[in-house]
Amino acid sequence: MGKSISEVSGQSNNPLFKNQVGMNKKPPINPKKKGFWKRASRQKALILMSFPFVIWLIVFKYIPIGGWLMAFQDYKPQFGMFDQEWVGLQHFKDLFQEPMFYQALENTLGMGILGLVFGTLSAITFALLLNEVRLITFKKLTQTISYLPHFVSWVIGANIVITMLAQEGVINNILVGLGLIDSPIGFMSNPDLFWGIVTVADVWKETGWNAIIYLAAMAGVDPQLYEAAKVDGASRLRQMWHITLPSIRPVIIVLLILSIGNLINIGFEKQMLLGNNVVADKALVIDLYALDYGIGMFRYSFGTAIGIFKSVISVILILICNQFAKKIGEGRVF
Amino acid sequence: MKKKLSIYTLSLLFILGAMIMTACSDDSSSSSSSDDQSDSTNENDDSASKEPITLSFFSADGEEKNFDDPVAQKITEATGVTLEIDYPVGGNDETIPLMIASGDYPDMIYAKGDIGKLIEAGGVIKLDDLIEEKGDNLKAMYGDQIDRLRRDVDDPSIYTVGTYGVEGAYWSTSGTFQVQLDVLRELGYPEINTLEEYEAAITEYKEKYPEIDGQKTLGLSLLGSDWRWLITVGNPAGFAAGIPDDGQWAINDDTGEATYKFLKPEVKEYFKWLNGLNAKGLLDPESFTQTYDTYISKLSSGRVLSVADQDWDIADADKALVADGKENRTYAPLPVTIDDEYKSQGLKDYGFAGGWGIAISSTSENQERAFEFLDWMASEEAQILVNWGVEGENYDIVDGKRVMQEDDRERMNNDANYAKETGVGYYIYPFPQWGNGAVDSNGQSITPNSEQDIIDNFNEVEKEVLAEYGMDNWIEWFPKTEELGVSQHGTAANYTIEPGSDLQIIQQKADDLTEQRITQAILSEPEEFDAAWDSMLKELEEMNIEAANEAMTKLTQDTMELWGTK
Repeated sequence: MGKSISEVSGQSNNPLFKNQVGMNKKPPINPKKKGFWKRASRQKALILMSFPFVIWLIVFKYIPIGGWLMAFQDYKPQFGMFDQEWVGLQHFKDLFQEPMFYQALENTLGMGILGLVFGTLSAITFALLLNEVRLITFKKLTQTISYLPHFVSWVIGANIVITMLAQEGVINNILVGLGLIDSPIGFMSNPDLFWGIVTVADVWKETGWNAIIYLAAMAGVDPQLYEAAKVDGASRLRQMWHITLPSIRPVIIVLLILSIGNLINIGFEKQMLLGNNVVADKALVIDLYALDYGIGMFRYSFGTAIGIFKSVISVILILICNQFAKKIGEGRVF
Repeated sequence: MKKKLSIYTLSLLFILGAMIMTACSDDSSSSSSSDDQSDSTNENDDSASKEPITLSFFSADGEEKNFDDPVAQKITEATGVTLEIDYPVGGNDETIPLMIASGDYPDMIYAKGDIGKLIEAGGVIKLDDLIEEKGDNLKAMYGDQIDRLRRDVDDPSIYTVGTYGVEGAYWSTSGTFQVQLDVLRELGYPEINTLEEYEAAITEYKEKYPEIDGQKTLGLSLLGSDWRWLITVGNPAGFAAGIPDDGQWAINDDTGEATYKFLKPEVKEYFKWLNGLNAKGLLDPESFTQTYDTYISKLSSGRVLSVADQDWDIADADKALVADGKENRTYAPLPVTIDDEYKSQGLKDYGFAGGWGIAISSTSENQERAFEFLDWMASEEAQILVNWGVEGENYDIVDGKRVMQEDDRERMNNDANYAKETGVGYYIYPFPQWGNGAVDSNGQSITPNSEQDIIDNFNEVEKEVLAEYGMDNWIEWFPKTEELGVSQHGTAANYTIEPGSDLQIIQQKADDLTEQRITQAILSEPEEFDAAWDSMLKELEEMNIEAANEAMTKLTQDTMELWGTK
């Protein structure tokens, strides 16, 4: 489910919408209907342009929320939405009594946080480094190569990782060859390493792609600032620290808030494809649990209950972060 | 005021959106219904039922394939039917539930164990009347076994036909423990009946040849990283303990009493043995992490001394080995059990299993045609076609008997793509099939397989090793089918379990748990094995496995009642 998060992002991604709201916030000089219609007619082009997006939002983001009703029913697809047996909070009770669910929650949040921290850090670092490269051809080439893995599906990506980390794989061969270890390490059969492997694989796959937006933000930094800093004798590193990073701080904060809201929506592809029975304890994530024990077993209602739970968590997380951003006086999402 | 505006706008948009949507949906439904009408009138006009038609068919065991090989063309010629075969992508278990959620069904569905969900959702129709009216071929094929197709005691209707041969002959095992022929040859043709002897053979050979073709020799390799865990880890435990294959269950055939298999102490014995094997370095350390491709490529390299797998699962490796001229690296099935107390159930006759099969969807506009097609598949003409291929191309009639052409026979045994390319043998499963051992109206075998064929098709090294043992066929060292008796309850692996029931949920949880815990136990230090096993039993108890045992017992007893075998 996780509707709420996309609602929020949908809204913020839509500058027209935002603009309109912003306009409304101004205290109207004449608080009568006349003034409103006047303003509306002045902005009719803008309003018209925002219509398709609002419709899209309603059709794909709000109407499906009606499906939440399922969580309170014993849903059987052969009957209509309203001919179902109502069971109240039964599915939520089942869910909260299920030890597997807590295990899934722990893994989801664990891998989500690791992914967020290392994903953001690596993307920013990479963008900073790339931003300093003055040789345009090299920069472009590096950037292209770095975001290529993003276009490789996880099915292939996971197979590459598994093959490389196999007992007779490249990594073990190199380590043994260098004499660093005596016998091959079973990377994929050590539950303690699983979160780490997922995180590293994720960083490998997404760093280049995630760096694009930071690079774009860095491109917008006023060159005069750098020139002034140079005159003052600031080194490259100093310039990065005192000019580039503070300039893109609002972007970083906004992206962080958005991705914290998505912390719980980490998907299940990576975990499912990289996991195996030895590490299953650490690989079970909420989405996979919902798939196997919800839809996979024909328990639509149970699956929906999990979805609602996820949405609630997302909303809470995003509200907290937004409040935090407000406190430190940075760009907020809403 | 701001609020009012948004409500106005919203309601306006709602109405607008609703209008657009209804307009669109009206459009599409009216056009499609008019199409249907023209279709059906056409059908009515034309009395011949060979009118070309495309039927969509979802096969849970399907793969990407166009319906255009020579056999398919013959089928289309005879019935007018062209199949559009859909298949689950990447072993996706969610296809059927998603199908139900969308209400969008193909004409025919082979759902395997998910058929119960379809029945409950009203996605498939009852076939009883159709069979009565126009199912002559099916009636003839099933005979008195037709009761085994019925759903359950509460709803004794028939929803599916097909999947397994009605008759079965046991000329070969489907595979259990298998060892390389070269191991038998090198060690002077030992008798291998127990796990102990099995381990000794592998150990001795591995010591003799620590490397095969420059690569490390592996004693036993399993594939425990995906669903094949059940095939190569879970099921062999039951086989070793002499338990007939009932999926994850051990069922007493007389009383119908069911126990979750991994609760049994003799099953533990097997895993304890595996644990020891691992500690001694005889078990491939990648057994639980490798992918299927890696596993097959290891087997194909010839450095894996033994497997605990089904023939169909390692068929690609077998063909690759023969193609590379490494016949001595192919595998021989062994009647291995924990000790002499237990009997290998490799040749067990489960009777016609019923249960799974092809259903016709309730939304199909071509239900009659679909049924006629399925009925035709059960006819003698169709069975000869799908089993033997096209006369003159794949087989000839010599002295009134069908004889497979030499190159076809060759390819059938050694070319993994033969069935897919030519269609010969491709459309037997999961359609209605007579089965091995059945004979046509001239008294000839309906399938190209006969025991003699199987024996003829052994590779040279296989024949040589068999001769040393004084046998013609591997099955001779297995306990005989007659000795093991026919199962009264079929096999629980084919039962339709009510979706969302406690039995289903508990079994799913138990299966997930045992897959993890047993894997961890096997890989643990030998002295920790017992503790690991006991904690697993405790966890099983906590998830109320007893309730699942009782539910399964009831299901088995109901099935026996339905089939009249109780």
